Amino acid sequence: MKSVDSIKNRKMRFWLKKVLWRHIVGIIVASFALFPLVWMISAAFDVTGQISTQQLIPVHKGLDNFHQLFSNTEKPFGIWSKNSLVIAISAAGMQVIIGALAAYSLSRHRFRGRKLTLSTILIVQMFPQLLAATTLFLIINTFGKSFSILGLGHQLPLILIFGGSALGINTWMLKSFFDTLPTEIDEAAKIDGAGHFEIFRKIIVPLATPIFVVTFLLSFIAIINEYLITSVILGLDGNNMTVAVGLQQFIYGQYGKNWGPFTAGALLATIPVMALFIFLQKHLVSGLVSGATKG
Amino acid sequence: MNIKAVSKGSKYVISFGVILLLLLMGTKLFQDKAWFLAIFFYLSAALIFYTYSISKNTPGKYLLPGVLLLTLFHIYPAFYSGAVAFTNDSNGHQLSKEQAIAAIVQDSKVPIDSQEPIKYQVLLENDSDKLFVIFKYDSQDYWLSDGNTVKSLMIDSKNISMDGTIKEIDGFAVLNTEQAQGQVSVLQNLVINLESGISLQPQDLESLEVSQPAFVYNLAKDELVNTLSGEIYTPNDNGQMVSKSGEALYPGWKANVGWRNFSSIITDKEIRRPLLAVLIWTFANAFLLVLFSFLMGLVLALIFNFPALRSKRFYRTIFIIPMAIPSVLSILVWSGLFTAETGVIDRLFNISTPWLTHPWWARLAVLIVELWSTFPYMFLITTGAIQAIPGEILEAAEIDGASALKSFTQIKLPLVVRTVAPLLVASIAMALNNFGAIYLLTGGGPTFSNSNGNAGATDILISYTYKLAFNAQEGNNYGLASALSILNFLMVGIISIYGLRKMKTMEGIN
Repeated sequence: MKSVDSIKNRKMRFWLKKVLWRHIVGIIVASFALFPLVWMISAAFDVTGQISTQQLIPVHKGLDNFHQLFSNTEKPFGIWSKNSLVIAISAAGMQVIIGALAAYSLSRHRFRGRKLTLSTILIVQMFPQLLAATTLFLIINTFGKSFSILGLGHQLPLILIFGGSALGINTWMLKSFFDTLPTEIDEAAKIDGAGHFEIFRKIIVPLATPIFVVTFLLSFIAIINEYLITSVILGLDGNNMTVAVGLQQFIYGQYGKNWGPFTAGALLATIPVMALFIFLQKHLVSGLVSGATKG
Repeated sequence: MNIKAVSKGSKYVISFGVILLLLLMGTKLFQDKAWFLAIFFYLSAALIFYTYSISKNTPGKYLLPGVLLLTLFHIYPAFYSGAVAFTNDSNGHQLSKEQAIAAIVQDSKVPIDSQEPIKYQVLLENDSDKLFVIFKYDSQDYWLSDGNTVKSLMIDSKNISMDGTIKEIDGFAVLNTEQAQGQVSVLQNLVINLESGISLQPQDLESLEVSQPAFVYNLAKDELVNTLSGEIYTPNDNGQMVSKSGEALYPGWKANVGWRNFSSIITDKEIRRPLLAVLIWTFANAFLLVLFSFLMGLVLALIFNFPALRSKRFYRTIFIIPMAIPSVLSILVWSGLFTAETGVIDRLFNISTPWLTHPWWARLAVLIVELWSTFPYMFLITTGAIQAIPGEILEAAEIDGASALKSFTQIKLPLVVRTVAPLLVASIAMALNNFGAIYLLTGGGPTFSNSNGNAGATDILISYTYKLAFNAQEGNNYGLASALSILNFLMVGIISIYGLRKMKTMEGIN
C-alpha cells in the first residue's frame, strides 16, 4: 500500500517538476499562435463591426457580417472567391504538370547540361519574382496592346506567370521524390518495350500521386496568398480582384475600416485552407522537414 | 499499335497547333512593334518544332515547356529590369521621341487672328447617320470631313445657292442650323487636322475657327521653334525639349540615361537619405527576425521534444496554425489588433501605445507579426534537427558525466546550428523581401518627414521600390525603381548563393 502511494507521489512530483511548466509554456505560446485567429472569429460574429468595442466573446452575436459580405455588389466576395479558385487551381495545376515533366527528366535521364539546369533553376528561383513586378507590369501591358485577353486586368496572364514558376522549388521537391522510386521498375518496363513517356505516365505518375497532392497544395496556398503581382496585374477593379486583394478593400476603403465583413470573409477563406493544412499536416510537415534537414 | 498511331497523330496536331498559334501571335506583336516579345514567340515556335519533330534528344522534350515559361516570366523580366534601369522611364517619359514631339506640336495650337472664320454646314450620311461637315477652304473646292478623314468634293453648281450654301448632296442629308443644334455634343469635340498642320474647329454652329501650332519641328536641326516667341528648344539628355533659359516642354520621351539612376542613388540627397534608412532597416529587420525566430523555435523544440509530455502532438498542431492562415489575411487582422488605443492589444493590456504611428513601436509591431508567422517553421525544422541527432552521442555524453547544460551547449546546439544554418541563410534572404508583412501592416509608414513623401520607418527596399514604381506622389518612376530592383537582386542573390554553398546542395546534385 505504501509503495503504491510513493510511486504515485513520485509520479506526481515528476509531473509537477518536468511536465507542468511545459504545459504552461505550451498554453502561452498557443495563445500567441491563436491570438489573431480567435479575434478574427469573434469579430466575424460581432454585429457591431466596431474594432473599438470588440470583446473576446461578442456582446451582440449574429450573422450580419456574413449577410453584408454577400450582399455587397461593389465588393462581390463570391466573384473574388471564384477568381481566386480559378487562378490558384489552374496555375497550381500547371506548376505540377510542367514541374513533373521536368523533374522526371532530371531524375531519370543523364544528359549534358543537367547539373547546369538544376543549379540554374535553383538560383533563378532565389531571385524572388516580385522584384520583377515592375517589369512584369510593363510586359503584360505590352501584351495587352496586341491581345486584350493577355493584358492587364485579365486572369490568363496571371495564371501563365504563376504557372510559369513551375521550374523551381517544386521541381526540386518532385525530383527528390522521383529519385526515391527504384529505377529497376523503369528498366523492367523498358525491356517490355515501353517508351520514355509511357514509363512516365504508367509507372512514375501513379507512384508519385501523394507528392503531386502535396506540391499542388503548397502551390495553391502560395498563389491564394500572393498579393503584389496579383494586384499589379489584375488592378483594383471590383470584379477582377482575388479574395486576398479584395478583402483588403473593406479596411482600406474610403468610408473607414469595415472590420465586420472583412473578418467574416477572412474566416471563410481561412477555414478551407486551414482544414486542408491540418488534414494533410503529416505530409506537409515531413515534406518541409525532410527537405530542410537533408544534406 | 493502333493506339500508338492515334496518340502520335494527336501529338502532331497539338504541337502544330501550338506552333501556329505562337507564329500568329509573334506576327501580331511584330506589327505592334513589340520586337523582343515577337522574337521570343518566333524562337519558341522554332524550338518547339525542332524539339518535338526533329530532335532525338529526349530530356529536351520534358524540359522545354518549363524553360520557355521560365525565360519569359523570370529571366526576361530580370534583363528587362536591367534595361529599364538605364532609362528615365517614368510618368511624362513614356512616349518615343517622335510621339512626344508630335504631342507637343499638337498641343500648341493657337487661333490665327488674321484668318477669317470659315463657314461650314453639317451633314448626316444617309446610310450610317454619321456626322460630316462640309466647308470651303483655300481654293474653290469643297472639303468633306468627319474629323478623321478629309477629302475634297466636287459639287454641282445647281445645288449651290447664291450665298454659297449647299442645298443638297447625294447620299447626305443637309442639316439647317436648328437641326445642327441637336448635334452640338459631336461638334464640340470635332477637330479637323489639315495636312498643312492647320486645324479647324467649330466655334459656333456656322463657322470654323482656324488655328495652327505655335511650335514647328525642324528635323534637320532637331529643334522645336516657337513661331510666336521665336524661342528655340533643343533636346537635353533627359528626354526633354528645353529652351536656353531652361524652360522644359511636356511630355518628354523615354531616353537612355546611362548609369544616372544608379549614380543618383548616391549623389541625390533626396534619394540617398531615405534610401540609407530603408537599407539599414531592411537588414536589421531580416537579421533580428531570423535570430528571434530561430531562438524561439529552438527553445520550443527543446521544451516539447519531451517523451513524457503526452500532448506534444496537440501542441504542435496548434503551433503551426500561423502557417495555415493565408498570410495576407492574418497580417491585416494583426493591423487591426495593433490599432492604437481602440485596438485589441491596447485594451487587453490596458495600455496606450502608438503602434504603427511611432517609428520604433511600428518596427516592433512588424517584428512581432513576422515572428508570429515564422516561428512555426523554425520550430518544425529545429525539432527535425534535434530528433536527427544520434541517441548514442547524447548517451555517451551522459555516461561521461556531462551536465544537461553542457550536453546542450557542446553537442545539441552545434549540431542543430550546423544542420539548419543554410535554412537560416535562406530565411534571411526571404526576410529581406518580406513585402507582404511590411506593406500590409504599416504600409512602410510612419513616413519620414524629410523624405519626398515616400519612404517610411518600416519600409524595406522592396516595399520602397514598389511605392516608387506604382504609388509615388510625384508620379511613377520606373527607371529608378528598376535600378533599385537590380540592387535588391544582387543583395538577395549574393546571400542566396552563399547559403547554397553552405547547403552543399550544389555538390549533392546527382
